[in-house]
Amino acid sequence: MPAVLTPARSVPVASEGGAGGIVDIPPVDGDGGRRPHGRDRTTERYKLGVWIGMGGILMFFAALTSAMVVRQGLSGDWKAFSLPPVLYVSTLVLLLSSVTVERARREVEGGSSDGLRRWMNVTAALGAAFVACQLMGWQSLSERGLFLASNPANSFYYVLTAGHGLHLLGGIAVMAYIWARLRSSRPWPTRGPVVEATALYWHFLDALWIYVLGLLLIWR
Amino acid sequence: MTEVQVSPEVSEFTEVHRHPEPKSFWSKYIFSVDHKVIGIQYLLLAVVAVFVGMALSLLVRLRLILPDYPLPLLGTVFPIGAPNGVMTPEFYLAMLTMHGTVMVFMVLTTAPQGGFGNYFLPIQIGAADMAFPRLNMLSFWTTLVSFLLLMAAFFVEGGAPISGWTGYPPLSAVPEATVQGLGQDLWLLSIAVFCIASLLGALNFIVTTLDLRAKGLTMMRLPLTCWTWFVTAILGLLAFGVLLAAGVLLLMDRNAGTSFFVPGGLVVSDKQIDHSGGSPILWQHLFWFFGHPEVYIAILPGMGVTSHVLSTFARKTIFGYKAMVYAVLAIGGLGFVVWGHHMFVSGMSPYSAFVFSVLTMCIGVPSAIKTFNWIGTMWGGRIRFTSPMLYSIGFVSLFVSGGLSGIFLGQPTIDLYFHDTYFVVAHFHLIMGVAAIFGMFAGLTFWFPKMFGRFMSETQSKIHFWATFAGVYLIFGPMHYLGMLPHPRRYAEITGVDYLEQGGAEGLHAFITAAAILTVLAQFLFLYNFVKSIYAGKEAKGRNPWEATTLEWAIPSPPPHDNFGGKVPHVYRGPYDFSLKGAKRDFAMQCNDDKAVFPRPEAASGD
Repeated sequence: MPAVLTPARSVPVASEGGAGGIVDIPPVDGDGGRRPHGRDRTTERYKLGVWIGMGGILMFFAALTSAMVVRQGLSGDWKAFSLPPVLYVSTLVLLLSSVTVERARREVEGGSSDGLRRWMNVTAALGAAFVACQLMGWQSLSERGLFLASNPANSFYYVLTAGHGLHLLGGIAVMAYIWARLRSSRPWPTRGPVVEATALYWHFLDALWIYVLGLLLIWR
Repeated sequence: MTEVQVSPEVSEFTEVHRHPEPKSFWSKYIFSVDHKVIGIQYLLLAVVAVFVGMALSLLVRLRLILPDYPLPLLGTVFPIGAPNGVMTPEFYLAMLTMHGTVMVFMVLTTAPQGGFGNYFLPIQIGAADMAFPRLNMLSFWTTLVSFLLLMAAFFVEGGAPISGWTGYPPLSAVPEATVQGLGQDLWLLSIAVFCIASLLGALNFIVTTLDLRAKGLTMMRLPLTCWTWFVTAILGLLAFGVLLAAGVLLLMDRNAGTSFFVPGGLVVSDKQIDHSGGSPILWQHLFWFFGHPEVYIAILPGMGVTSHVLSTFARKTIFGYKAMVYAVLAIGGLGFVVWGHHMFVSGMSPYSAFVFSVLTMCIGVPSAIKTFNWIGTMWGGRIRFTSPMLYSIGFVSLFVSGGLSGIFLGQPTIDLYFHDTYFVVAHFHLIMGVAAIFGMFAGLTFWFPKMFGRFMSETQSKIHFWATFAGVYLIFGPMHYLGMLPHPRRYAEITGVDYLEQGGAEGLHAFITAAAILTVLAQFLFLYNFVKSIYAGKEAKGRNPWEATTLEWAIPSPPPHDNFGGKVPHVYRGPYDFSLKGAKRDFAMQCNDDKAVFPRPEAASGD
């Protein structure tokens, strides 16, 4: 069913000189470079934004990775240390949160606001638990006398976990926003796109953590 | 007609992008989410920054020729850096550092992309706004915070940093090495914030280009301006994250006692520095991995504007559109694998240097394709010598002059001699600084009638063009010779050597400073012209006073709040359809179908 729109203001249609300017909108089919019918364009756009954003974040971690590899190879002052075991707990917590955020995402299609809110809250809580575990990891390291400046191996551990943690806190902040918007009675036309984009970002953070953990295990 | 029938897909598109027209002064001009207002905000920021940067360069030039002369006022503003108005050598370095930083980040990176790109990318692709308008606003305000942090570095204890715009450690990493403690931290903080702003902006540009193009506007029908903004955004997305990482590590070296970049055994002022094992070269790698793409971030939009303007005023389609697109992509791609040519003297393996050198030479190929295609575009055209056209031709000239010296510097054996001499200063100023600035002059004079509904004064623009064009060659031409002496860069004064004196360096420095003063004066003419023309310029009659082809010329000047009045334009043809055989007139706009262009209706365009 074609929607009917009233232009916000009447901008004259033809350009001077008799040639056509802005023309009426023809049907969309058969148009090069467009997406097929039926896809939610706003959701696609938000998700594209997250995909592109991942590129920038990945370059940030790629730079840290190369710095770590080079720094370890350059000097003899690198002292390997064993990772705090709590990291494996935090890994499990984060993996679980990917499952719950996926559960929340599927509630969008069903349209249940309650279900969406519940699963988003569970995800945010798991995210907070992950951050708590990471902080315990820092504490366990500092109890062993391994501080940020003690050794480059420790420095990179703190920088990488902090870098990932800050991105994760950003995700939790968005979930807080979603929570607030779901509570309010104001209409929220971009609810679906925001939730979809958040879920995608959260999965990315999950994968990024697996990468960081692997890096810390291999290059410690 | 009051109602427009649209398909469901289009209604989604229009609905999300229509934000209500702001009513209050604050929401309209200050915290605006309209890409046009944000574009102008970026431009104004760049104008402020460029005059700050120019003032700093004048101080640098004056210190070089009048080391002991007390400058009025300077002693009052900077009592420590310039006691009684006489600049200390450290103050010279601080001015140099801030000149480079302000110009590279706050002018060359913001104006072409954040300014013109923000204003015209959505219009040229037929969209109502950027993909994420609020994110766009956030990008600008973050950039402004970064600028203010940088300016604050002038006024803290110890003053502005002295480690150059490249911030090489250990000078930048060891607070004990300089008195500029807080200044250097503010500098790093400013750069980090700038990185975040640029990443957000880049994301927005990429999604906008990929997702919001009008019907019929395929990638290969994009104006070349849009192509360069798009590729610049990709470069920014991939480069600024790396600089951010490096900046964070350097901040920690300075403030948290880590040793990423500070080597062990360092002694400063008879004091052992408590660091071990870090590598200053590591910073250089990370910095230049960002720094080289940054050069293209500055210059690519200028190439886009130049292509656009040359085609419009030569009344000819751009010569080799596809080749131009592929050349931009090639320059962008190669830009990520040549960073080592900034580090030939860092002790790198000659084999690595060879690889970096060969890759660097490869950039000459797409650059030459662009240059020849610009000449090919003008060749045989019915050229209209308007001021934007002059600036664009000036761009081509400066690009060639600056590019040729790049071929010298890209070879390790020659670079060993020229490294850190005035030859390098001449090279990068011509190609990255002045050529890019000429791209901005071309863009501003070309789009001014669209942005403000009035023309800038042609006479004043032309006087400004010739004064600036001659001025920059008089400044940077002799610097090539200084570099051959070889005169090292970055020194406030060099004493105890006679090869500079015999080579006539002193006289040349005086000449260059005189040329710089004249060139700076000419910029005030441009500023006057710009400000006055906003309200008193000659009125631009109609929507398309230049008889150009792209979508921004199909809407009123200045464009209404949502650009196309809630409609979605349809694009039927490529961006540079000039002098078509059998057409009603010598150009066809992108939104003109064949019926509007040709006297008799023909079959659908094969384009």
